[in-house]
Amino acid sequence: MKVAVVGKGGSGKTTTAAVLARTLARRGVPTLALDCDTNPNLGLSLGFGEERTESLIAVRDAVDEGDQEHAGSAEELLARFAIEGPDGVRLAVVSAIQNPEPGCP
Amino acid sequence: MRVAFVGKGGAGKSSIAGVFARMLARQGARVLALDSDPMPGLAYSLGVPSQDAGIPADAVEEYEDDDGRRRYRLRSGLDPSAAIERYSTVSPDGVRFLQLGKARGVKGENSLSHQAYQLIVDSLSSDDWSVVGDLPGGTRQAFFGWGRFAQTVLVVAEPTPASVLTARRLARLALHSSAPRVLAVANKTRGEADVRYVERGTGLPVAGSVPYDETQRDADRRGVALLDLDADTPLVAAVASLVSSLSAEEALR
Ligand SMILES: Nc1ncnc2c1ncn2[C@@H]1O[C@H](COP(=O)(O)OP(=O)(O)O)[C@@H](O)[C@H]1O
Ligand SMILES: [Mg+2]
Repeated sequence: MKVAVVGKGGSGKTTTAAVLARTLARRGVPTLALDCDTNPNLGLSLGFGEERTESLIAVRDAVDEGDQEHAGSAEELLARFAIEGPDGVRLAVVSAIQNPEPGCP
Repeated sequence: MRVAFVGKGGAGKSSIAGVFARMLARQGARVLALDSDPMPGLAYSLGVPSQDAGIPADAVEEYEDDDGRRRYRLRSGLDPSAAIERYSTVSPDGVRFLQLGKARGVKGENSLSHQAYQLIVDSLSSDDWSVVGDLPGGTRQAFFGWGRFAQTVLVVAEPTPASVLTARRLARLALHSSAPRVLAVANKTRGEADVRYVERGTGLPVAGSVPYDETQRDADRRGVALLDLDADTPLVAAVASLVSSLSAEEALR
């Protein structure tokens, strides 16, 4: 199952996605949560805590800066990007707002 | 005065920005309110119809500069004030409202409108116009491009972990920007402890505290501006005092 949660800011996307992910994981489904928000807070709602949520952004930035080589397979990418949290949900951050570059909205 | 409201989705940027713009106009300022959030919000709190009309593409013309590079300028005969008169909507209290960046169509389709918006805001004289912007908080555009007019960036934050974390990220971005000043506005507060939480959590000076306001929720559900429903509420009072304190500081500088 692949689900994307969208909607207006403040309408509850992150909360919905987090409850969905943890409910699936509790039912025994291996679950990957992807935070595609440019302001990634999904980790907070999943219960990863602030420090681990922020650490994922650092991983994301390192990849942007070329510190880490791009991996080939999805599994390799996840091994590098994702961390595991409550109920076994794995979380990866796809976009982040650090390191602003003028001209790119 | 040139302020931009940023913050997490749902923090209350649009609700506060609309009241802020109208209170500023009541003090006699000529106010341009800009909404560059692709999701509508400011129109409701200003009390204007949420229209889909941006600035038309023919407000700008393309030309080549001396190095042969493609550039844009406002169509000849169209100065920034005239463009505002012509393309904006007028709210109660006389705020001029321009909506930009609506989520519609293919990427790039709106680029000429964006150029026009940028040209108008960049060339507007600060002496004649106050600018109040409602910007989406989760992206870079808060501080570059659409947000670069701002002299003061007001980061709206609720007293919650996600909201102050977002505010802290935005404050970090602001360090790279041209905005001389970044302040927090605590929203939906229910006491002094909430204000301190926002202050600690954002690491920013708190310029104002806006209490949780049941009437605002009511206005939201009805799709009307709070000011047109009831002008005597905690949110309105708090935003009015924010307008006064920022205006007073401005006068000193
Ligand atoms: N001080 C407040 N008290 C109660 N509700 C508020 C307050 N400020 C904003 N709201 C409500 O919070 C929700 C999000 O506000 P909005 O201004 O649309 O946020 P943003 O523009 O930051 O996404 C709306 O339902 C609005 O009515
Ligand atoms: Mg809004």
